[in-house]
Parts: sequence; C-alpha cells; structure tokens
Amino acid sequence: MFSQNAILKRTIPIFVQTASAHRKPRWLPVAKSKIYRIPKRPVISEDEKKELLRLHNNYRTQMRAIKRFYFDELVKEMASKQSATSEMSQRLEAEEWLRCVELNDKWNAQVALDREERRKQEVAAMEEYTLARMEAKDKELKARIEKASEKIREEKELSKSFITPETLDAAIDHAIANPTDYNFAIDLKGNKYMGRDTPTVPPKEEKVAAAASN
Amino acid sequence: MATPVIKYVGRTTDFKGKTLWEIVGSLKNLGVGRIITRSVFERYPEATFMKIVKVETCPDEERRRVRVWVEKTFRGKKQPHITEIYRTSYKPDYRLIPKNEEAKLLASVKTVHDKSDVILPNRIEMPVLMKKFIVKDHEKKGLAPLEEFVMPLSYNKSPSRMQRIAVGDEKPTIEFTMGLGKPISPALYEGVPLN
Repeated sequence: MFSQNAILKRTIPIFVQTASAHRKPRWLPVAKSKIYRIPKRPVISEDEKKELLRLHNNYRTQMRAIKRFYFDELVKEMASKQSATSEMSQRLEAEEWLRCVELNDKWNAQVALDREERRKQEVAAMEEYTLARMEAKDKELKARIEKASEKIREEKELSKSFITPETLDAAIDHAIANPTDYNFAIDLKGNKYMGRDTPTVPPKEEKVAAAASN
Repeated sequence: MATPVIKYVGRTTDFKGKTLWEIVGSLKNLGVGRIITRSVFERYPEATFMKIVKVETCPDEERRRVRVWVEKTFRGKKQPHITEIYRTSYKPDYRLIPKNEEAKLLASVKTVHDKSDVILPNRIEMPVLMKKFIVKDHEKKGLAPLEEFVMPLSYNKSPSRMQRIAVGDEKPTIEFTMGLGKPISPALYEGVPLN
C-alpha cells in the first residue's frame, strides 16, 4: 500500500499497528456470506482412527488410575488425622479448658481491680460535684437574703418621710404653704417661662392672617 | 408417481436409519415384541439388537421422542436388566429387523461369550516421574517408603463390559502400562523410534 521509502522518510505520519485477530465478536450472528457454508468433515483413515482410539483409551485409563490413587491418599490422610484427634481430643480439650478458665479468672481479677479503682474515683468526683453545688446554692441564698435585707432597710429609711394620720395636718399645711407649679416651659438657654403668667392663646390678628393664607 | 428425489441439506452424519418413533409409531401395538437395532452397533462383529418390551408415547412438546423399554443384547450378550430408551430415541439411527430375520439373529446369540476369558488388570505401574515424586513426598512427610510402585485401577461401571476385571492377585491377560504401548497401526510410526 505504502512504499517502504515513504514510511522511512516519514512523508506519511506513522501509523500504529495493533495486533488483533480478524474475528467476529461472539455476540454477532453468522456472517451472511457464511450462512450456507457447510464445513467439510475431516477424513480420518481407518488406521489412524483405530490408533487414536487406542491412545485415548490408554490415556483415560492411566489418568483414572492416577486420580484414584491421589484421591485414596487424600481420604487416608484425612482419616488418620481425624482418628488422631479423636484419641487425644479428650485430654487436649480438658487441658485447653483449664487453661481457658485460668486465663479467664486472671482477666476477671484484673477487671475487678480496675472497677474498684474506677468506682472510687467516680464517688469522689460525685462528692466534689455535690459539695460544689451545695456551696453555690448556699451562696446564692445568702446573697438573696442580703439583697432583701438591704431593701427592707431602704424601705425603713423611706418610711420616716411617710404621711401618717398624725402628720397629715402638718403635711397639708406645708403643701398649701408651698404650692408647686409644673406648668412651665424651658427655652434653649434654660429660661423658665411660667405657664400661668404667659398667655397660651396667640394674638388675634396673627390668627386671622394664618386663616387668610390657608 | 415419479421417484422422490432426496436432497440432503446441511452437515453429514454417521447415523443411518429412522428415529425410534418413526419405526414404532407405524407398527401394530407400537411394535412390542419386535426387534430393532442401531447402525452404530454394526461396528461390532457380534450381534447387537434390542427387543421392544413396552412403549410409552410422549407429550406433544417431545414429538421426536418416545419412551421405549427394551431387552438389550450387546455384542452377543444379553443384558440382565431391561433398558429404557428415551434420551436417544430421537436419533435417526434405528432399524427394524424384519420378522423373517429375527430367528437367525436370535440363534446367533451364544450362551458363552467369546471374550469372557479376557481378564483386565486391577493395578497399573506408576509413571516414572510420579515414582520419584512419591519417594520424595514420603520422605518429606516421614512416611514409610513404598515397596511397590503400583496403583489400583478402576473401571467405569457398565453393563456392556465384555471383559472380566481381575480379582485379587489374579493374573490378567492384558497388561496396561504407562507409555505409548504397542501401536495398532505401525505404519503411522514409520521412522519414529519406539521403545
């Protein structure tokens, strides 16, 4: 297809050749051109047929013998292994059991020790926690009592200035003697304009002008 | 009517004859008591035939088959048990023996078989490599070494077996060996050294 020279001089880009058998994929049906093709039966001469049959028979006999030999050996081996175990099994099992029990006891003792330790620690921690809690509660209660007593003291202090039926007349007299007028306004400079002296209604002409502009 | 032209299509076969149903279905009482044979058994010099004992037809899905029980005579030896033919009944390989030939065929069966004096061996010598391997293997496993490098030989069970298998230390008439053996057709081994 391509000349050797063309390939050597790289006038054609090199193409990669993949080694693949020219076969149809297995899932495709028989090719159209091969549908009615009948493969020729191989012709084997009588001599060859007989010889092949003899050889195959020989081979099968030999293989059967070998397979049986090894199968028997396997069975024998398994049986001997099993019988050996059955003889010694009692003693071995008892030994194994004792060993297991001993080991288990050892483990149990260790675990018990660990558990004691842990319990002690846990109890101590719990005690500490409880004490701390109780202390905090006491502190809180004390603080509340303190606060309440403070309040009571304040109230008592205040109660000195309370008006009682005995001091009522004196208080009335005092109030009448010193009237307090809150009806005032304050401008930015802090001047006080007392309400009772300043007229609250604006002058009449201003009101008219305001009405006219509306 | 012109003679029908038979045109064979497809692959060739070694079978020769009809299927069992083709024979049995066209006979009176489904051919019970008649004798049939297969062409593949004609390779043996001794008479091989089967006498029909019972016939059972099959459902429509298995229209090529038929269930037939036969008394089988294989290579001139009548088998003690009745054989069922079902799986192979579809094979177009059966032939009906005409009634006038039946007597002759039955007379050819002998009470003592020709090959009854042949004794098959029940042991065989090991291959060379296996001997060496076993010696080493036994050494490795700490087992006692084998004195005789022979293994027992087993045969498939078959009612058709003509030869007897040796029992105990009986001397067999045939000896099997590991190796090529003696060729039947020496012409094929021309120029090949055989030992």
